[in-house]
Amino acid sequence: MAKVAIDINGRLFQEEVPERMLLVDFIRERAHLTGTHIGCTYEGVCGACTVHLDGEAVKSCMLLAAQADEHKITTVEGLAPDGELTPLQEAFKSEHGLQCGFCTAGILMNMTDFLKRYPNPSEQEIKKGLIGNLCRCTGYVHIINAVRKVVQENQLRKT
Amino acid sequence: MYPAPIEQYSRPSTLEELYSLLDSNEEDILVLAGGQSAMQAVKSRMLRPAHIIDLQALSELKFVTSEKGLLTVGAMTRYVDIVSSDSIPLELIALKDAASRVGDRQVRNRGTIGGSLCWNYSAACTPVTVLALDGAMNLISPDGSTRQVAADDFFLGPLETARNEFEILLSVDFKLRGSKSGSAYKKWGLVTDALPVIGIAACLHFDNTDCCDYARITLTGLSGAQRCLEAEASLLSTTANTEEIAEAMMIVCSKIPTYTDSMATADYRYQLIKTIGLEVIEIAKKRAFGLG
Repeated sequence: MAKVAIDINGRLFQEEVPERMLLVDFIRERAHLTGTHIGCTYEGVCGACTVHLDGEAVKSCMLLAAQADEHKITTVEGLAPDGELTPLQEAFKSEHGLQCGFCTAGILMNMTDFLKRYPNPSEQEIKKGLIGNLCRCTGYVHIINAVRKVVQENQLRKT
Repeated sequence: MYPAPIEQYSRPSTLEELYSLLDSNEEDILVLAGGQSAMQAVKSRMLRPAHIIDLQALSELKFVTSEKGLLTVGAMTRYVDIVSSDSIPLELIALKDAASRVGDRQVRNRGTIGGSLCWNYSAACTPVTVLALDGAMNLISPDGSTRQVAADDFFLGPLETARNEFEILLSVDFKLRGSKSGSAYKKWGLVTDALPVIGIAACLHFDNTDCCDYARITLTGLSGAQRCLEAEASLLSTTANTEEIAEAMMIVCSKIPTYTDSMATADYRYQLIKTIGLEVIEIAKKRAFGLG
């Protein structure tokens, strides 16, 4: 067993875990934060388990929980800790950026990191940024519109 | 897709600590870099390591430096760091072509150049590009002895390299060839930024009369990264115009067997080699003349 101390959304989780436990299972089963989803039986292809590791988007099924020891994790629950939605979450709501919602947590986490790094992306860049996330309701048009809306709002605020 | 039981996880924070961990007679050790390929193999149980040694804390292996005609990239440098690095000179920009197209941004936030080179998957962007750029691998053994292995001798075949089991890749060196040098990498896969069905990298240098006096053309997707020696030779002493490049890619097709599978037919693969090869070599040439 490995002893880990993982900060998830500002709360420290100190646990003993089997070495082979994946980070996504630690988040869901030990921290009981089930907003992070498993969409593809841990194959690293769907992106639904995307979280932030020290502020950067990573797939939590591609890491052991032990690898996240002493790191800071943010999950979708950590985006709006006081219940006030982020502009990206608001845009997903107003642009109908989700249908079943299964992929949404991962996309929100990926695009939050993406917009931090590229505050003014083109539509093409948004599409490229979304490559690591699958949406099986095929709502990509609405998802891209939601991300574009945040970009446009930021531009308006600047002018 | 879940790992078999793992007995031990270690995260050395210095090279000395790493060497002491490697210096045992332990079997089934897996040295993990970014883990974006190796963890897939662990989850599918193709690998069942008893002990995972995670290199993530070795900050001394995360750097990109360019001085005295040499670019050195630390083995634990991530794709995202390569893409955003200001230290990579224009003539080696193929490194950025490759790094910016690996997988997706979540993978690029984690995956490393060293991990990809040591894994040497049969269809991967990094080995073929480093082979075209004539990279040299700096390896160290737990006893402290070091050696440098040229890319030509390092990649032995899919999932096989010249690295010994307990050797660690520290960094990769790239010699700069100065003005009129250019490089490029491009691939085609079933979806955007997927593993290449065919990927081609090229590195060219032109002399004072604008004739090509140095050419390396490399191909991946068929059986790992490979040189296209006859095609390279055919470009020497030419200006590498469109017809000459097309001729060189015809030579590649005549020398290298392809195959049909669920991803592409053998003929389609030949078409990809011709089309991507022409595109990549023309981009490398344009860049050599400051036009790309």
